[in-house]
Amino acid sequence: MPHKLSEIISWPEQREKAKSYFDSYGWPDNRNEAWKYTSLAHLQEAEFTATSSSVPSKTSPADLEGLSVQISGNMLQLPPKDAIPAGISITDITTDDGARAAAFTYLADNHLLPALSAMHQTSAIAIDIEKTDSASPLPAVIISLTGSSKDGACYPFVVVRVHKGAEARIAELHSSDAGLSCPLMVYEVADDAKLHHIRLQTEASHTTHLGLNQMQMGKNSQINSFAISMGGALSRLETHSLFHGTDAELAQSAIYLGRDRQHHDITSFVAHEMRDCASRQLIRGVLDDKARGVFQGKVRVAPDAQKTDGQQMSRALLLSRDAEADAKPELEIFADDVVCSHGATVGELDENLMFYLKSRGIAEDDARNMLIDAFLVDTLDEIEDPDFAAFMTSQINRWSLARR
Amino acid sequence: MNLLEIKNLHAAIGDTKILHGIDLTINRGEVHAIMGPNGSGKSTLSYVLSGRDGYEVTEGEILLDGESVLEMEADERARAGMFLAFQYPVELPGVTGMSFLRAAVNARRREAGEDEVDQLEFVKLVRAAAADLGVDNEMLKRAVNVGFSGGEKKRYEILQMALLKPSLAVLDETDSGLDVDALKIVSDGVNAQRGDDCGMLVITHYQRLLSHIVPDFVHILAGGRIIKSGDKSLALEVEENGYAGLVNAA
Repeated sequence: MPHKLSEIISWPEQREKAKSYFDSYGWPDNRNEAWKYTSLAHLQEAEFTATSSSVPSKTSPADLEGLSVQISGNMLQLPPKDAIPAGISITDITTDDGARAAAFTYLADNHLLPALSAMHQTSAIAIDIEKTDSASPLPAVIISLTGSSKDGACYPFVVVRVHKGAEARIAELHSSDAGLSCPLMVYEVADDAKLHHIRLQTEASHTTHLGLNQMQMGKNSQINSFAISMGGALSRLETHSLFHGTDAELAQSAIYLGRDRQHHDITSFVAHEMRDCASRQLIRGVLDDKARGVFQGKVRVAPDAQKTDGQQMSRALLLSRDAEADAKPELEIFADDVVCSHGATVGELDENLMFYLKSRGIAEDDARNMLIDAFLVDTLDEIEDPDFAAFMTSQINRWSLARR
Repeated sequence: MNLLEIKNLHAAIGDTKILHGIDLTINRGEVHAIMGPNGSGKSTLSYVLSGRDGYEVTEGEILLDGESVLEMEADERARAGMFLAFQYPVELPGVTGMSFLRAAVNARRREAGEDEVDQLEFVKLVRAAAADLGVDNEMLKRAVNVGFSGGEKKRYEILQMALLKPSLAVLDETDSGLDVDALKIVSDGVNAQRGDDCGMLVITHYQRLLSHIVPDFVHILAGGRIIKSGDKSLALEVEENGYAGLVNAA
């Protein structure tokens, strides 16, 4: 789990460390506690070409306005310089070892996902958002991550630095159809800064998705983040959130939607290192057919992190007898003056609610769909930015309609 | 034709037999009250009538407008004109009031071969009915029953009844959890819907509701049977003497 390094390790050294880690441990299977519910044994024999390159599509995603950044394998397409307003800069750091090494400062040591990225990453960008004097808000930055080869693997790396006092809106849209998709995203949110963040994963039905979102929060900073995972054959999203300053607030919620034989894993680690910070997480999953869902959520409250408010609630809804959900919530509290709670439930649609709807004349199937939609839509209130909320709602609706 | 005819109704939850042969006929325009002590089978009767899963009819018949409802699902019964006002209305997080009410009204309309109600028209319809029941716009915007007080939930039940215009309304302990003022609002709402088109079955433990919704007939349910029937004076007798005397006499 994340471990603060005292100094920046050079990129070649970082890479060597990653290689030696991977040489020793390889792809984890379920004998490894952190991968108990999500084995990667199927990757042991798989061979992927290191990068898949294709020309990124020029279209920006519908329904979402903003500056479009496209990453497809090792191809980058950044907005033209004159289209980028003051306060935002977007830089290709693929060959900038210093920048890459700096962005790795707080990433976990001895951990598969940063190691894979350090070993293989072939494209890297940095996005800087600074406070401006302008009254109008900065446009959202829409990062589209694609890759188009079943035998290929992509390892895109993005570091987003929201500088002191700035407010940023970032959307990650993962729609790769590579065999293996390993995006690493680092968000550094400085003192008094605010990040609105959405992450949508709609990858191909053969893709193994191993994503890591690292959130670093300065004093009095805020993050409002929401993720939806609905694509891929096997998908794991890890979020590591670290509080570096006091009085910061993290709202970080996620939905996973599984059907057929999909496997969705949301693994979250929130490290309250500083006092007077709050974290709030709602995780919901809907699993149909033979889909499987996993939620692992660890909240650690360090001895000095007094007055921490840590809330975490995960709920999984099973729509089929063959669907399965596992939850492993963990609270590690070393401070004595905190308010922390967590809960995890797995269940079917509530019979009482079904009867209430049916007693009003609403047919069985319609009642089921209403309750499934409600279960998901209920969490979307967590998204503060109205454009992001509307976009994520439309994605949920699309999934719901396709399921019927 | 009788609106509702219950003949020799026996019902069980799993292996537990609750109702032991109930006969009851309700005509349009009539209000019948069922009174009884705790555990007499009052709520079971309301669930058996409305078709809740898990409540098995082991013997007897329930006819609505002359048609057996025993093979009908709860939603089919509702579309056929039955309405149950819940003792404990459930919360539906994520389901907004307007979309819920509209889905219910349209389901009933489709069944009757009528056009679905236009959205703007519907908002007007709901606001008018809601105002009579003291249900404000804020409540209509919220998710169904979420964060409502006990009294608000009951008013919301009666609002649904007003919009769905059932031919048979079953009110299950509608007075429970209501203070005097709320009881008056809810009762006025129910009384406004009395008329030649609608029959009502009012289930209650106490007489106090019946001084607001005055019944034409009162039946005492005990041990899963109707042990005595009479007019509204029977309710006053219960108020005076309690159930014990009646139950022992039976």
